[in-house]
Amino acid sequence: MSGSAPWTTDRNSSQVEAYRTMLSETSRCDTFEQLALPLFPSLYNHAFWLTHDQAEAEDLVQETFSKALGAFDSFQPGTNFKAWTIRILRNTFLTTRTGLAASRTVFLEDHPEKLDTPGGSTPEDNLIRLDNLAALHIALEQLPPQLREVLLLCDVDEIKYKDIALILDVPIGTVMSRVSRARRTLRQLLQPQLGESL
Amino acid sequence: MNEKPQITEHLNSYTLNAFIDGELSPTERQGAEQHLATCHACALRVLSATQLKAATARAGHRFAPPAEALGRFAAQLRSQSQLQTNPLPQTSPQPQTKTPARLYSIRPAAWAALAAAILLTISLLSWRQLHQTNTLAAELLDQHLAILSSAATPQVISSDRHTVKPWFQGRLPFSFNLPDTAALPSDTILKGADLTYLNGQPAALLLFTIHKHQVSIFLMQRSTNSTLSTLSGARAGFTIHTAITPDLRIVAVSDVNPSELDNLLAVLVQIQKPA
Repeated sequence: MSGSAPWTTDRNSSQVEAYRTMLSETSRCDTFEQLALPLFPSLYNHAFWLTHDQAEAEDLVQETFSKALGAFDSFQPGTNFKAWTIRILRNTFLTTRTGLAASRTVFLEDHPEKLDTPGGSTPEDNLIRLDNLAALHIALEQLPPQLREVLLLCDVDEIKYKDIALILDVPIGTVMSRVSRARRTLRQLLQPQLGESL
Repeated sequence: MNEKPQITEHLNSYTLNAFIDGELSPTERQGAEQHLATCHACALRVLSATQLKAATARAGHRFAPPAEALGRFAAQLRSQSQLQTNPLPQTSPQPQTKTPARLYSIRPAAWAALAAAILLTISLLSWRQLHQTNTLAAELLDQHLAILSSAATPQVISSDRHTVKPWFQGRLPFSFNLPDTAALPSDTILKGADLTYLNGQPAALLLFTIHKHQVSIFLMQRSTNSTLSTLSGARAGFTIHTAITPDLRIVAVSDVNPSELDNLLAVLVQIQKPA
């Protein structure tokens, strides 16, 4: 009895602990799915800007999800999950996919399944939109990567400066400086085409 | 971004961008709004910047995933989730202990996931640190070599802290102390100073000579990012040494004897301490 009792106790407590772990794992995975899946289009868009390739973008997002799920315990609830995920995506890209040929770029215009949907735009926006979307695409492509990156995070993904600072691992002052420089450069690139209208 | 509301001064580009990005504090925003109410030129700039931001946002949403991709991803994610929740089944089933066996095997899976997460974190951190360190080292060497090769005179020439230090006032978002000439190590001369940028931050560049060797000393605000402290070492024949104070990061680059470089760094660190 003296030999078996402690074993039984240990075994039961281990079972309970393991069962709790399983439950928490299940809820953890569910939580991750709920948070991650809605981000898919946005992450894919960001991945495409980085890779300029459909298959590479899909792979990159898949790898990002896989890594993010594995590291989900390190995510601090209450902080920006999107920023956390983009940071993983960006790091994954930088470690594994540098130097991809820009010639393999495939644009959304080639994929008719989802084009830019109208709605909620102002007359001023329409003026820019109707005539100059192509010019903006060209200008964004011409921006130095560091500046394009900060505009994608700020304007496209609508991430706050403090979270951009975390993603890029730079001080918030650098984010402000890059945002300012990026918009100034973008404007300079667009100026010849848009004149004083922008 | 200024703390006081701006009434008369035009919005600078940082404030303007922070305004349209919703990054100003309530006080700053109020100041900017007050100014915009009376300044036609700034109101036009804000309108134009807002249009550009909206247009950028639209142009940036350029690539949409293939229609079937989301379903495929969701399925993959679930299978990976299940793999983490329910590890691989036993190859030799043991009916009586099936449930406990599955329960027990959770723990190695959890540990494996934890280990993977730790490894991932460590590898990401170490890669980032290495990448940052290399980039910053290259930036430092570039600037030091530019000084060596151009023979350009510093923006402010001095052999005296009373000329150099006041020159930085208002040009940098931080201040620092400089030792008296007499307090410098022997045969060490302060030639002058430049304003520069390092790692995207404004920095003070002090140009010293030790004997005939040029020494570049960069002083910048100490950020929360501590990875750059691993910068010290020898690169391309130059010594890079770093030191930190509670507020500053000081980086020295030179081909002088490393111990003499350290002596100068020590004096600079010492003088930063409050009296």
